[in-house]
Amino acid sequence: MTKKRSLLFSLVRSLCAIGIALLVATLLIFISAGGDSLGERLRTTGEALQQLLIGPLFRKSGAFNTKNFTDILAAMIPTIFTGLSVCVMFSANQFNMGVEGGCMLGAFVAAMCAVYVPMAAGLHPVFCVLMGAIVCGLMMLIPAVLKAKLNVSEMVSSLMLNYVILYIIKYFMNTYLSDKTKGSIQSYPFLDTAKIAPLVDNGSNLSVGFLVALVFVALTALFLYRTRWGYAIRMIGMNQSFAKYAGLPVAGTIILCQVVGGILAGLGGGIEMLGRYGTYNWGALPGYGWTGMTIAILAGNNPLFVPLAALFMAYLDKGCSLMSTYCGVPSQLISIIQAVIFLFFAAEQFLANYRQKLVVKSAREELAAREGGNGNG
Amino acid sequence: MGNFLSMLFTTDFFYSIFRISAPVLFATLGAVVVEKAGFANIGLEGMMMVSALFGSLSAYWSGSWLVGVLAAVLVGIFMGLFMGFFAFKLRTDVILTGIAVNMIGGGGTLFLVNVITNLTEGSAMASTTSLITQKLQIPTVEIPLLKSVPVLGPIFSGHSVLTYLAFFMVFCTWFMLYKTPLGLNIRSVGENPNAAASVGVSVSGIRYIAIAFSGAMAGFGGAFMSMYYSMGWSQDMVAGRGFIALAAQAMGNGEPLGSMLSALLFGFAQALGVKVSAVGVDSNLVSPIPYVVTILGLVVFALLARKRHRKKLVVK
Repeated sequence: MTKKRSLLFSLVRSLCAIGIALLVATLLIFISAGGDSLGERLRTTGEALQQLLIGPLFRKSGAFNTKNFTDILAAMIPTIFTGLSVCVMFSANQFNMGVEGGCMLGAFVAAMCAVYVPMAAGLHPVFCVLMGAIVCGLMMLIPAVLKAKLNVSEMVSSLMLNYVILYIIKYFMNTYLSDKTKGSIQSYPFLDTAKIAPLVDNGSNLSVGFLVALVFVALTALFLYRTRWGYAIRMIGMNQSFAKYAGLPVAGTIILCQVVGGILAGLGGGIEMLGRYGTYNWGALPGYGWTGMTIAILAGNNPLFVPLAALFMAYLDKGCSLMSTYCGVPSQLISIIQAVIFLFFAAEQFLANYRQKLVVKSAREELAAREGGNGNG
Repeated sequence: MGNFLSMLFTTDFFYSIFRISAPVLFATLGAVVVEKAGFANIGLEGMMMVSALFGSLSAYWSGSWLVGVLAAVLVGIFMGLFMGFFAFKLRTDVILTGIAVNMIGGGGTLFLVNVITNLTEGSAMASTTSLITQKLQIPTVEIPLLKSVPVLGPIFSGHSVLTYLAFFMVFCTWFMLYKTPLGLNIRSVGENPNAAASVGVSVSGIRYIAIAFSGAMAGFGGAFMSMYYSMGWSQDMVAGRGFIALAAQAMGNGEPLGSMLSALLFGFAQALGVKVSAVGVDSNLVSPIPYVVTILGLVVFALLARKRHRKKLVVK
């Protein structure tokens, strides 16, 4: 198949998957829409869809909504990192689900450094975020080493670790670290030097972290496609036995990819924490890990597509929350949309007939061109 | 310390182990059969969430716990077939299919409960806890003779119908896997799909049956959670039990009996946690115990397996 055709195919396929997801969404919105008559219901459904699809960027009057736009960009910061993290681990077929807990751990460690370790203004946030990343990378050693040395499923152990991390952090927060003068459980405020500077000053919390995220997109892409470690990671993902007999260090690479994934997840959590909040107050897993998985699937495990996929998810998320505010459709609709997109994007056989047709057409054309060439010669 | 131990090891405590283990045991059996058929169902968690929701709602609508349980099982089977369609027909990686089902179980159920209860109740609520009353709870059974035996009676008698079913299902699953043609087919598909296909076994048919079975088990587990363990469905109520089931399957070496023991180990860890937090230890410190035990259990099992493997090599 020519390059152009395979690009066309993946484009059509992606649009179809998104189309199906939106169709399911429309159906669910219609079911959940209030209204007595059918006409009224259809009208609410239309309104809700408008909020979902157009609402995030344009006001009712048609004017461009800058605040919403920067909100969406800000929401991309943690999910770009978790998306990258999942890309690296899934590239080696390591189904580590610890990104969720890792993100929380990174945020927690960064927050604690921001509260208790005084430092110079420029250096402080860098130090906090790096500490979060390092601790998270070390945490990922547990599922990684267990997998590499004992063949314990990294999926199961990392899922268990998520809960352990959640409760341990909650324990420390409740018992030792919370600001007792406040009604809810939260840490003491971060030192002013630790905060990550905002990029625009409109309350969107779009911080410099966004630029850092984009830099890490490039770095992760370089790592996966331009270094021998990245090569080993991808090779193990394609065929582990082949990689082993080709002499690649399989166990080391399995550990490496999960530690790198952990570092990325920790960075994401830390940057999100210092860029958006003034105190640590997460009482539950943030959910960025699961979104990161959807993003990695959308991006086909290619880091360069991660920002695009993150933008798409952030846009949908914003649309869903607008929809729940203005039209009363529960915002958790996003997880169903997410699941449907997820399923169809990862489906190898989805539209396989269409691909087959394209392949046959290409082959015929090639054959015809060759015969034509022979005839001339 | 002695005081604490005597307080700990009461009949009450052992009774609660069985109660806590039952939903995990159901899911574990689902994981066992699927694993025998050669793949992993990590969607058990989401399946349990969804069937717990529909089980409690159906019980409320029909006014009968039995209808609720059956509805939960049917929903579980449906979700299994749904997963199967994507995994076997459209060739989505089965692990990713499971993740998608878990997304539906996590956020999707909240969406559904909002929508459905809005329609019937006219007010928003994020759980069905007020719907399941004492009357709709899965009933408990007193076993006639055993009941009056000291020590054993209070431990083994008076459990819910589903608790007994869970342990009976261990035997059924073992019987199905090792004594019936279906079980032979499931194992052969898991061992070598090409060989199974070459003797005329429908590989995808067997896989559909396996995943539907795991769905049914998740359905029982979900019904147990929302109609007996707690009264009604609430957010995140399954709390990783579907994942723990995967761990129990791995720890039990994929065999029904061993996996049952692993599920009981989880039940023991959690029952211990409940007791310890009753003494006054912070619940956040106690809650991770079952998860830590699960990880340790996996490690111990892996070490033992490796040792056994080495011994075998030496003998050869």
